[in-house]
Amino acid sequence: MTNASSRRAFLAKAGAGAGSLAFLAGLNRSAEAQDSSPVIVGGPLPLTGAVAADGVEFKRGLEMAAEEINALGGILGRPIQLAFEDTESKGDDVIISAGQRLIDKHNANVLISGYNLGSQTALQGVASAASLIYLHADTARAHTDLVAKEPDKYWSCFMYCPSELYYGFAYLDFVKHLETSGQLKLPNKKLALITGPITYSINIAKSIEAKAADYGYEVSLYETVQAPTSEWGPTLAKLRENPPGLIVVTHFFPQDQAQFMIQFLTNPTDSLVYLQYGASLAAFRDIAGDASQGVLYATNIGVLQDEIGLAFTKSYIARNDQKASPNGGGQTYSALHLYAVAAALAGGPGTPYEEEQNRKIAARLKAMTFRCPMGVIRFDQQTQAALSYPVQTKDPSLGMAHIFSQIKNKAENGHIISPSPYDIAKFEKPAWMK
Amino acid sequence: MQAVLQILITGLTLGAMYALASVGLALTYGTMRMFNMAHGVFMTVGAYATYMAASLWGLPLPLAFLFGLAAGGLIGAVMHLLVIRFMLDTEGFEVNIIVATAGVAILLQDLLLKYYGAYPFRQPAQIEGVFRIGDIAVTYQSVGILVMAAVLIGGIAWLLTHTRFGLAIRATAMNREAALLMGVEAGRTYLQVLIIAGVLAAAAGILISSLATLSPDMGANPLLRAFVICVVAGLGSVTGAGIAALALGLCEAAIQYYLGVRYGFPIMLLLVIVVLIWKPAGLFGQQEVVRS
Repeated sequence: MTNASSRRAFLAKAGAGAGSLAFLAGLNRSAEAQDSSPVIVGGPLPLTGAVAADGVEFKRGLEMAAEEINALGGILGRPIQLAFEDTESKGDDVIISAGQRLIDKHNANVLISGYNLGSQTALQGVASAASLIYLHADTARAHTDLVAKEPDKYWSCFMYCPSELYYGFAYLDFVKHLETSGQLKLPNKKLALITGPITYSINIAKSIEAKAADYGYEVSLYETVQAPTSEWGPTLAKLRENPPGLIVVTHFFPQDQAQFMIQFLTNPTDSLVYLQYGASLAAFRDIAGDASQGVLYATNIGVLQDEIGLAFTKSYIARNDQKASPNGGGQTYSALHLYAVAAALAGGPGTPYEEEQNRKIAARLKAMTFRCPMGVIRFDQQTQAALSYPVQTKDPSLGMAHIFSQIKNKAENGHIISPSPYDIAKFEKPAWMK
Repeated sequence: MQAVLQILITGLTLGAMYALASVGLALTYGTMRMFNMAHGVFMTVGAYATYMAASLWGLPLPLAFLFGLAAGGLIGAVMHLLVIRFMLDTEGFEVNIIVATAGVAILLQDLLLKYYGAYPFRQPAQIEGVFRIGDIAVTYQSVGILVMAAVLIGGIAWLLTHTRFGLAIRATAMNREAALLMGVEAGRTYLQVLIIAGVLAAAAGILISSLATLSPDMGANPLLRAFVICVVAGLGSVTGAGIAALALGLCEAAIQYYLGVRYGFPIMLLLVIVVLIWKPAGLFGQQEVVRS
């Protein structure tokens, strides 16, 4: 088989990102390879600890993207080589060390992660000091504030998903729509908020708390749990004493959310349960089992269930296993494809401290509208965070969809029920509600 | 009334798990003057062994549970034979052993991570179903945890007080040289203590993972709490550790309900400080060590 025909065969079979793969293949064909040294993609990932379920998927996503890109000749003839450092689901000290090791020891050409914990500004400091491109999905206002405030310093840092702040009113918009459209009849207007100790969870809970009254809801409980939390008895006792129509759990660890649902369903209240992000992972369904069915969740960076998203999901699960979570892996998978195209367009990857070349890549990233299994990545020019659809743009082709899903079957990912045109199913009242 | 009942159920469940985790630690310290930093990873080993036996080998749950206990005991024995016995008579044993067992813990945790990965597996050792007391639903799992803790801790207390084996442990703990002169083989006694501590830790690990999930670092949090409980009880007091664990479990659940979940552990630590100011040797602390 010739090189060209094998590429065609690969593209025909490629599960995802076919558009970017074809584009990259074209750039590679026209490039005259002058350098065949590997492009080191550094992954500072939470491979152990509380959010390792996600970290494992981030690693798989990078591996899958690297395989696909290398099969097409890498980036302008240079193969991708991955290097990982464990951030241990810990704070800034560990995260900074991991990022710094990727630069100093591995000589990484780019840093790509899903999300990390800590202040969510740690790796921006590491990357900007080395003038290195850093792509992450921290879903953090901390990033948008940082970059908007000091764009000259953080020009190389990109968050390829929207900030967590949009979860607040997107949720309120969504449940209000369910009510006004007659799909949901709540027993009361009380809303219970259960959050965790991590900034992401707190910010989302605070943004819902701040706007709840505007939508006619009354916050009847605001509880902060520790992480990890496996024994939910005292929290559930409070919920049962004053049953709310809406329960929102923004503490996002999938294993803790699974225990919440298992224990909640031993004596459920007539409440619509929304779990932030964690329920989008296979680990949640695996642990919660039947208790996962009926749960609502949202993510502003989830795999769509359209042609591209489904093809990616199929390939991802085939490459890994049935318990793999495309929603996690799809993030870093998309980010590496995005970087590969931007670097190829800019004339090749940059090295640490090579500001001129990395600025060219940053400029390409800022100018691109990139379609991937998660939807569209298009960066806000001030914050260098992906724009959200329908929150920041009403055009689905120009923003990453803020998707709401409902788990219908414990063996499958949740079905997207909003927003249009990506919805594939209708909301159904959970079995435990009256 | 319902709230009180819920606090009791949650508190006793938490307390029973803490008790299993801390009794083994207290026994080790009481007998050997050794704070075992690998105690948390013993819990993890027991939990993963049960998971492996049930999920991967398809053993029935009771057998898988016993296999997990055996794995805990085995890891305790191996650590004694390969590490501890060489350090027992060395200068600065009490400090050096903390470093050595911390090293063993890191090694074992990394091996578990290498072999199983970091995916939060579900512990198959579960008892399904609930029954009701009034409007409160009580899971059979919680009852199982309480019964299991009572049986194991009761068994250990009986062993210590009613058998020659227990007498040897207590004698060695009180005065090693005197025990040796009376024909007690201290080395073998220490080995037995580490096996028992491993079995208890494994039981705690299996039960904790049944309410949470498996992860290579799942032992870290329970180890911290077990240490706190042992300090409150008085280092080395086995019965004291059991009582303190139940009391602190109930206390934590009550604080979580009345003041907020986030205050549970911090206020528990504050209480510990107050107790230690009032009784520096702990609530049950005296001169001698292992006391049933």
